[in-house]
This record gives sequence, structure tokens and C-alpha cells, in this order.
Amino acid sequence: MTAGARGQLQNEPLGAVLMWIMRPLQIAAQGTVHWLTGLRENYDTLAGFRAENERLRQRIQNLEIERQKLLEAQASNNRLKQLLDLRSQLSGTPITASIIANSATSWFKSCVLDKGISDGVRKGMAVVTPLGVVGQVVAVTARTAKVLLLTDANSGIDVLVQRTRSRGIVSGSLENGVLLKYVKRSEDIQEGDRLITSGTDGVFPKGMMVGTVIKVSKQHIGLFQSIEVLPAVQSARVEEVLVVAAERAE
Amino acid sequence: MRLFLLYFLIGLFLILLQSTFFSLLPLGPIVPDLILVLCVYLGLHHPTVGAALGSFVLGYSVDVVSSRLLGFNAFAMTLVFLAVYFSSRSIWLHHPVVSSLIVLCAAVVKGVAMVLVWVIFLSMEGFWLGAVKYIVMEALVAAALAPVVFSLLRRGENYFNKFGAVA
Repeated sequence: MTAGARGQLQNEPLGAVLMWIMRPLQIAAQGTVHWLTGLRENYDTLAGFRAENERLRQRIQNLEIERQKLLEAQASNNRLKQLLDLRSQLSGTPITASIIANSATSWFKSCVLDKGISDGVRKGMAVVTPLGVVGQVVAVTARTAKVLLLTDANSGIDVLVQRTRSRGIVSGSLENGVLLKYVKRSEDIQEGDRLITSGTDGVFPKGMMVGTVIKVSKQHIGLFQSIEVLPAVQSARVEEVLVVAAERAE
Repeated sequence: MRLFLLYFLIGLFLILLQSTFFSLLPLGPIVPDLILVLCVYLGLHHPTVGAALGSFVLGYSVDVVSSRLLGFNAFAMTLVFLAVYFSSRSIWLHHPVVSSLIVLCAAVVKGVAMVLVWVIFLSMEGFWLGAVKYIVMEALVAAALAPVVFSLLRRGENYFNKFGAVA
């Protein structure tokens, strides 16, 4: 103790031995402490990252939802803009309506609109979109209207082949989809020909797109050609339509 | 009367499903006919005049929503109910396993009824092959759905009866 007090510890052999023994242990222990400290800090950092990650993930989800809403609003806006453009081109006062239900049976192709008599919709009015003809109103109540689609087997629309001005009737069928009927064998009809409304049926405005010819065949017998048509409007994908008053040809 | 009301509400719900959500199913032009399954269920388990009237009303409701001709489905569904009712009197049809088979046969009866009315009143061009395709596909889809719908209807009815007893 006296030697220690006098600052002579470096010459004290027992202390030197102890220090010699302790030194590597202390270095190892201190290393472990540093490692553990680092581990804890890493854990804290990692936990922070995890929380941050979770927060960012949530934010991405929210932004994605907002983005979807904006995209949907933009798409809806575009559709309505196209409807407005079409509306300005049509005579009379077309009524904008939304499709609220489709056919509940396989045998008929129809849909229900959210507008009825109180909105000015009447039986026999044409239903169109900027892409073309959808169908015709066949029944109407105060607030709804039932539309017979172009693809129904009992529909019939008077059309012109845009290229040759040949006439025919476009109608749906249970068997072959949509057909162009009553076109003479001698008429020149080719795949890709566009069909437009003739305007002579007193229902559809003249020049509305109806569909495109996708297959032409002439059977051995019969007066008419067999012509399959791809409708311009895929009714299952339509949400908003214009209901147009009947228009008599001059 | 309360049971009649319950089935009418279920019928309206099924028509709502058929006219909205079922268009999302990848079945092409075929709409699963749950109203047909409901009418078969009524014919098997509630063979009363009220249920026959209910089948007519359900078919008529489908017509109101979808058909060009009113009475088309009303006729077909009433015929289905009567066919199931008269069959169940002479043949034992109540086993759950055979529900699919019954609905399959009922769908064929309905299809034949539709064809009969169609031939009389509507366009015939391109009809026959299409009609056969529709009858077969509708029958298969309805038969596949029948056990689930029957089970749900039975459970709903049991729950309704218990609730009614408590109330």
C-alpha cells in the first residue's frame, strides 16, 4: 500500500502478473461489450427501419388507393367527355344514363338503365355510345328503362355497308353471335367492312357505327349471304350511354 | 305467409345476383340460373299452391328485369315447379345427393318450355343449335350449383323457423 501510495506500482510484480493475465481477458470482454452494444444499436436501428418500412409500406398502399381512384376518375371523366362530344353532335336532347343491371337470364341480351319516363326516356328510343350502337329501349318505368341489346336474337337494326352502301339487317342470334342478314349473294361484302346505321328505321341516327364484318360465307343454295359481325360496342364493358329520341329520315 | 315472403325476398336477392355480379363470371353468355334452383327447391320441399304462385312470381320478376316477352320465364318456372312437384309425388327425390340430378332435369324442362314459347312468338333464325347449347350449358351450371344453394336454403329456413319460434 505504501509502495502504491508512493507511485511505485509498476515495480510491483503481483500486480504486473495480474495485469498480464487480465489484459487479454479485458480486451476480449470489452470486445464482447462493444459487440453487444453494436448489436443492440443495430437492433434499435433495425427496429426503427422496420417501423419506418411499415410506415412507408402503409403510405404506398394509401397512395396506390388514391392513384386508383384518380385513374378511375380520369377514365370516367374521359368517357363522360366523349359522351358530351357525341351529345353535341346528335340532334334533339339526348339523355345520359348509366347501366345498373344486365340480363338475369341467358336467353335474352338486355340491360337496365337508371333513367326512365321522369327523365324523358320513352319506349323505342335508341341507346348509343361514342363507339356505336348499344340497343333500343323496349320497356320503360318511371325511373328505369329496359334496353334490348344489339346482340339479342330478337333485335334488328337497319344498316348500310359503309364501303358499298349495301343494306341489310343486323341482329343477334343464339347460335352465331351477331349476324348481318338479308344481304343478296350478288352484293360485294368483304371481311373488315364497316356497318353503319342507315337512319331509315326511325330509331337510330344515321351513320352510327354498328360493327365490322368478320366472316362472309355463301352457301350452295339460298338467296342471301351468311355474314358474321363483330359489334362495335362490347355491351358488357359499357357503363354510361346516351338515349336518343327516334329520328325520322327525310 | 312469412315463409312465402322469405322466399320472395331470397328470390329478389338471387335475381339481383344474376343481373349484376354474375356478369363478372367467365361463363360467356350463360348466366347461372339460381331462380330455377329455387323453384326446384320449392317444388320439392314446399309443394303448396302458394309456392306454385311464388314460382310464377319469381319467373315474372326475371321477365321484368330481362326478357323481351313478359311471361316467358314465368311460364317456364311454373312448369318447372309443377314438373318437380308431380315427380316428387311418385319418385323419391329428397335425397341431397340427387339434388343436382333433379336440377339438371328441371333445367332441361325449363329449356324445352323456353324453346316452345320461342318457336311460337320469336325469331327462329340461327335458333336450334344455339338453343341446344344454351339448354345444356345452363343445365350443367345449375346442377353444379344446386347442392350449395339447397344447403344454404335449408340452413336459412331452419334459422328462420328457430327465429320465428323464439319471436
